[in-house]
Amino acid sequence: MFRKKNTAGVNSNEIRAILDEKKAKMKLSLKACAHCSLCAESCFLFMGHNKDPKYMPSYKFLNSVGVLYKKKGNVDKLDLGEMRDLVWERCVLCTRCYCPIGIDIPDMLALARRICRSQGVYPQYDRE
Amino acid sequence: MALSHIFSWTFIYDFIRGPMVWISFIIFFCGVVFQVLRFMYLLKEQPVQKLEPGPGNIIHSQTVSHVKVDRVKTGWFKKGWFKKGPDKKDWMLWVKLSIAGVNPFMTIVTTIFHVLLIGVPVFVLGHNILLDNAFGVSMVSLPENVSDFLTGIVIFCTLIFLFRRLFLDRVKIITSYADYFFLSLAAAPFVTGYLAYHQVFSNYKLLISLHMLSGELMLMAVPFTKFMHMIYMIIVRFNVAGEYSFGNATKNW
Ligand code: SF4
Ligand code: SF4
Repeated sequence: MFRKKNTAGVNSNEIRAILDEKKAKMKLSLKACAHCSLCAESCFLFMGHNKDPKYMPSYKFLNSVGVLYKKKGNVDKLDLGEMRDLVWERCVLCTRCYCPIGIDIPDMLALARRICRSQGVYPQYDRE
Repeated sequence: MALSHIFSWTFIYDFIRGPMVWISFIIFFCGVVFQVLRFMYLLKEQPVQKLEPGPGNIIHSQTVSHVKVDRVKTGWFKKGWFKKGPDKKDWMLWVKLSIAGVNPFMTIVTTIFHVLLIGVPVFVLGHNILLDNAFGVSMVSLPENVSDFLTGIVIFCTLIFLFRRLFLDRVKIITSYADYFFLSLAAAPFVTGYLAYHQVFSNYKLLISLHMLSGELMLMAVPFTKFMHMIYMIIVRFNVAGEYSFGNATKNW
């Protein structure tokens, strides 16, 4: 879907700089992910939400770090808002997810959180 | 060499079954070595408390030593006579919670698929004859009807993967076009080999060329594309410390 980006308030250089710190691991992990969905059941939030695929660990990391990397940090507040929902509201970073290939999914989600935080995007506890 | 000659059928055929084989093997091996070295460079030694895989061991590890102390203090069995390791029930729970326990069907399918994906090409009679012609050495070969049957199983497994991608929401949601492409690329050498062996189409030469070409493309793709999960899995599992690592993994990245 194409919509006009409003990149005000987002410093994509800063995002890129953070991505670069973990570039090698992130790139290799994104590439190695076979999109197999076998990690799904290892996340208790996936199990607790009627096995909603949007709670799959791989879905969360591919749509946060994966998108940030693909777009080279050129995202806007709306994108980051969606990522906030992914990495805070659909993940508690309990580090129990398990990938048969050995991808460190929690580390990737933590990276996405860090990037959100660097852009002033935080979890909203006052929201329903 | 005239251009018409380069694009001629015989030239392409000879190229695919000649130099291209060597090129793809060289790219494959160099690529794998490069990626392995890169991994080893990225992984840093970082001694951490290694938790043995399996249930119950956490009680005995240093990180939760206070638990141990409490236990020891509580009774006369502190000498460890009754030190309880994980019993059968713990192991059963552990297996039940693992991917094999949660998803036994996919575990079996994917294990069979990956073993055969590597095993069948190595032990197929036709490949060993070529190997014998080239170097005078060869591996033991499977009887032809067995390798034929196993090839059928590989194709069947890829069909299962394909149906999962197409119809299962949880796989669909993370599927990209590249996944279909690489699944086809993995299946192509087997499908073409199968068809060529059974001489389904009269044009054997075309099929066998496609067979060689797809096999070569696949080999070359392993170190640089999605197929690199093969390298990733082995390197990470044996080196990065974690409760699911194999052996004495002590690194981190
Ligand atoms: S993170 Fe691992 S288990 Fe999950 S989809 Fe990717 S490769 Fe499969
Ligand atoms: S770290 Fe997040 S994704 Fe992984 S199991 Fe915990 S809640 Fe699920």
